[in-house]
Amino acid sequence: QVAPKVPRGLHCSAATHSSDSDSSVVPRPPEPSRWPMKGLAPHQELFGQAPSGERDKASFVQAVQNFKQHSVRRRGHVDFIYLALRQMRQYGVERDLAVYNLLLDIFPKEVFRPRSIIQYIFVHYPRQQECGLAILEQMENHGVMPNKETEFLLIQIFGHKSYPMLKFLRMKLWFSRFKNINPFPVPQDLPQDPVDLAKLGLRHMEPDLSARVTIYQMPLSKDSTGAADPTQPHIVGIQSPDQQAALARHNPARPIFVEGPFSLWLRDKCVYYHILRADLLAPEEREVEEILEEWNLYYPMQLDLDYGRSGWDDYEFDIQEVEEGPVFAMCMAGAHDQATLAKWIQGLQETNPALARIPVVFRLARSTGELLAASPGLEDLPPQPPVQGQEEEEDNLQRQQQQSQS
Amino acid sequence: MSGGGLFLRAAATTATATARACRALAAFTASRRSLRTSPPSQGFAKELFLGTIEKKEVFPFPEVDQEELNEINQFLGPVEKFFTEEVDSQKIDREGKIPEETLEKLKSLGLFGMQVPEEYGGLGLSSTMYARLGEIIALDASITVTLAAHQSIGLKGIIITGNEEQKRKYLPKLASGEHIAAFCLTEPTSGSDAASIQTRATLSEDKKHYILTGSKMWITNGGLADIFTVFAKTQIVDSNNLVKDKITAFIVERNFGGVTNGKPEDKLGIRGSNTCEVHFENTKVPVENVLGEVGGGFKVAMNILNSGRFSMGSTVAGMLKKLIEMTAEYACTRKQFNKKLSEFGLIQEKFALMAQKAYVMESMAYLTAGLLDRPGVPDCSVEAAIVKVFSSEAAWQCVSEALQVLGGLGYMRDYPYERLLRDSRILLIFEGTNEILRMYIALTGLQHAGRILTARIKEIKRGNVNMIVETIGRRLRDSLSRTVDLGLTGKDGVVHPSLEDSANKLEENVYYFGRIVETLLLRFGKTIVEEQMVLKRVANILINLYSMTAVLSRASRSVRIGLRNHDHEVLLANIFCVEAYHQNVFALAQLDKYSPENLDEKIKKVAQQVLEKRTYICAHPLDKTS
Repeated sequence: QVAPKVPRGLHCSAATHSSDSDSSVVPRPPEPSRWPMKGLAPHQELFGQAPSGERDKASFVQAVQNFKQHSVRRRGHVDFIYLALRQMRQYGVERDLAVYNLLLDIFPKEVFRPRSIIQYIFVHYPRQQECGLAILEQMENHGVMPNKETEFLLIQIFGHKSYPMLKFLRMKLWFSRFKNINPFPVPQDLPQDPVDLAKLGLRHMEPDLSARVTIYQMPLSKDSTGAADPTQPHIVGIQSPDQQAALARHNPARPIFVEGPFSLWLRDKCVYYHILRADLLAPEEREVEEILEEWNLYYPMQLDLDYGRSGWDDYEFDIQEVEEGPVFAMCMAGAHDQATLAKWIQGLQETNPALARIPVVFRLARSTGELLAASPGLEDLPPQPPVQGQEEEEDNLQRQQQQSQS
Repeated sequence: MSGGGLFLRAAATTATATARACRALAAFTASRRSLRTSPPSQGFAKELFLGTIEKKEVFPFPEVDQEELNEINQFLGPVEKFFTEEVDSQKIDREGKIPEETLEKLKSLGLFGMQVPEEYGGLGLSSTMYARLGEIIALDASITVTLAAHQSIGLKGIIITGNEEQKRKYLPKLASGEHIAAFCLTEPTSGSDAASIQTRATLSEDKKHYILTGSKMWITNGGLADIFTVFAKTQIVDSNNLVKDKITAFIVERNFGGVTNGKPEDKLGIRGSNTCEVHFENTKVPVENVLGEVGGGFKVAMNILNSGRFSMGSTVAGMLKKLIEMTAEYACTRKQFNKKLSEFGLIQEKFALMAQKAYVMESMAYLTAGLLDRPGVPDCSVEAAIVKVFSSEAAWQCVSEALQVLGGLGYMRDYPYERLLRDSRILLIFEGTNEILRMYIALTGLQHAGRILTARIKEIKRGNVNMIVETIGRRLRDSLSRTVDLGLTGKDGVVHPSLEDSANKLEENVYYFGRIVETLLLRFGKTIVEEQMVLKRVANILINLYSMTAVLSRASRSVRIGLRNHDHEVLLANIFCVEAYHQNVFALAQLDKYSPENLDEKIKKVAQQVLEKRTYICAHPLDKTS
C-alpha cells in the first residue's frame, strides 16, 4: 500500500512555501519599514508627476531629478531615498544599477565622512549610513553588482572607513563568488506564454540534452470559435531516447503511474508537472546486463581472469544511495485532471508503442488550490473539475485500457 | 605478364619448399627444447607482457631465400614502371575514379590475386613478398585501397575459411580480376559492435537458400564488386535448444539478384576508390555459399580483420620513401638567405624524423611478415595491430612534417602533397581505428599475462615451495640490483655491440613492463577492461617495445652481413631506441601511479563536464561579473 503522500515525498519540497498573494519566491527585498509611514509619506507627490502617468525608468529618474531641484539642500533626502527604494519595483527599475547610483548621488558629498578616529569609532551620521546600507542591501537582494561609480560615490559620501563601504567591499567579494553558483541557471526574464514556460521548465529538469520536447496539445483560448468546447489546456511533455528505450523494455505486467502535480519554482513562478514512472524492480528481478560473447569485433570486452577486485580495493567513500524507480516521461499541463493527463499518455503512445500494453494508473494528489493562486500563468484557467479522491482509496487502481483509445 | 611471374614462381617452388621444411624443422626443435623450461611461446608480443623477450622468434631478422628474392625483384620492375609512368594519381583523385584501362593493366599484372594460392590462379605470394609488392602499389593510395579491399579483406574469407568447392568456384576469377570482391560488415548501426548488425538471413522453406535482407554502408569497392563477403544475423539453435541470433558469413554474387548499391561517397582522401552503400533485398543465397559454419561468422570476421593489417606497414613505408625523395629534392634546391633549406637545423630534424619512422615501420612490417611466413598457423594478430597503429600514425605525422618543409607549396592542389595528406588520414581510421586496436593490443596481452600469473599465484597459494622461493628470489634480486639482463647482449648476445646500449634499454623496459603488468593486474583485476587510459599506455609501451626489437634485430643483421649504409641504420636504430626508451620510462612511471596522480582523474572530469553540457563551458575571456 502506498500512503497518499508518498509519491509526493521527494518532489514537493516547495509546496510548503508561502501561500501569500505576493508571488515572490526569491527572498523579497525587506520592505524598508523601519520608518513606518502613516498616511502619505513625505515627497510622495514627486512620484506620479509624470505627465503620461506611466511608470518607467524615465519617470523615476525624473522624480529623482525633481527632488534634487526641489530641495537644493537635500532636506529630507533620507526619507526620500527610502521612499524611492520602495517605489523601484513599481517602476520596474529594481535591477538597474544606474538608478541605484542615481539614488546614492542624492546624498550630499563630503558631509558624512568621518574626519577623526573618534568619529570613526562612534558611527558617524548613523541614520545616513543606514540609509546607504539600505540602498546596497536592496541592490544585493536583486543581484545588482555595484561598479566603480558606486564605489566612487560611497567614498565621496561616507569615506573609506564606513559601514556602507564595508558592505560594498563584501558585496564585491561575495557577489563574484555566488553569481554563477547555480549550475542550472534560470533566465532572468521568464517567458509569459505558459507553453514556453512549460518548455523551459521541462528542459530545466531534464538532464539529458537529447530529450525531445513535444507539445501534445496547444491551448485554445476561451474566446475562440470552439466556444462550446471546454477550454483546451496545453500539454507539453519531454522524453529522452533513453527513457523511451526503458519504457519499451518495461515489463507490461507491471503498471506504471502518472503522478503529480509536483511543483517547480522558476524564479518567482511556480509551475506544476507530472511524471510517468514505475516502481523500482526488486534486485532479484532486475535483468543483469551481461556481456555478450560475440560482441566486439575488435577486442575482448572482458578478460577471463581469476583476479578480481576485493573489498580492499574499494577506494570510494561509503555512500548510502537510495535508488528510485525509473521515470519514463514528464509533462506540464494546463490542467491537472485525469482527462488531460490521459491525453498526454495517448500522445506518448505514438512514439512509445509499448505503452499501449502497459496499464497506466493515475495517482493524482488533490489539486492544491492554495498553490495555484501563486502561479499567475495558471490563474485564468477555469475551475478544475474536482479530482475524485484517489488519495482516499489508493488501491482503487484505475486501469486505463489504452488499447481502445489508440 | 602474370604468366611470366607464374612460371618463375613454379621454378622456385621446389627450392622454397625444401627451405621451408628446414625452417619448420628448426622451429620444431626449438619449441621442443623450450617446453621443458617454460610454456610454449604464444607469439612474441604477448610474451613481452611477462617481461621476457623470446629472442629466438625475432633474432635474427627473418630473411627470404635468394631465389624468391630474385623472382620478386624481376616482378617488381614492370609494376614499378607501370605505377610511375602510367598511373596518374592526380587525375584519379580529381575524377574520383580509377580509369578502366588502369584497372585492366592491374589485372593483367596479376595484382588482384597476389595472395591467392597458385593452384587457384593467383600469385601465391608469401606475406613478405606481398608486403614488398605493397611498397610499390602504395604510390597511389586509391589503387592500394581498392586492391586491399579486394584481397586483404574481400576475398580473404574464402582463402581462410572457404571450403574446397568455394575456393575452386570463386578464387580463379577473383585472382584474375575478372570479379572484384568487397567486404560487407559495417552497417549504419554497427561499426565494431557485432550485436547490432541488422542485416538478416533467413533460411527458405526448402532449406536450399538463405534470404538476405539489409543494408551495408561504407563498402569499399561496393559499386565495382561482383562478389561480396556479407555478414548477417541468422537464427540458429544452440546446444541447449535455445534459438539464438548469430552472425554468419556468406559469399554473395551480384547476380543473385536484389543487390543494389548507392552512389559513390564523396570522401576526403582516397577519392579514387569506390565507397558506397550496398543494399541486399531478398537476395537468394544458396546454402553452399555459407562461409565457414552457420553461426560462425563472428570468428570469420575477426580472422579476416586480424589478418589484413600487417601490410599497412610496408605500404606506408613505400609511400614515405617516395615522399622523402620528393621533399628532399625541394629542400636541397630552394634557397633562403643564401642558404639551402637543407642547411637549417629544423628542416634537418624533419628529415631525420621521416627517415627514422620509415625505417622503424619497414623493420616492423618485414619482421611481422617474416613471423607470419613461418610454417604452421602463427598467431601474429597483436604484432599486426602494432604495425598498423604505428605506421598509420607515423604516416600522418611524416606527411604533415613534409608539408611543413614545403611550406605554402604543400598546401596547393597543383602539387601532390596535399593529396598525400588527405589520403593518409584514413589510415588511422579504417581496418579498426587506432583507439580500438590499442585496446586490442593491450587486452590480448593482459589476458595472456593474466592467465600465467594467476596460475603462478595459485601455485603459491597451494604451497609450492619452488614457486615461493622463486618469487621471493626475484623480488630480492629486483630490490638489490638495478641492471637487467635478458640476454640480448653479452657473450651469447644476438644484438650487435654497436647497438648494445639500445639493447640494454630495451631489456630494461621489457623487464619493468612485465612488473608493471603484474601490478596493474593486481590493482585492477578484471575491471582493467574499463580503464581505457591505462590500457592506452600499456599499448603504447608495447608498440614501442616491439618496434625497438624490430629495429635492433634488423640493424644487427645489416651490420653483420655488411649491407650498404649499415652505419646509417645503426644511427637510426639508436636514435629511435633512446627516444622510445624515454617515452616508455615516462609511461611506466605514470602507470605506476594511481589515477589522481597521473592526471587521468582530472582528464576524465574535464571530459565529463564538457560532455554533460555538450559544449565548451568556460566563460569568454572578455566576460565580466558586473
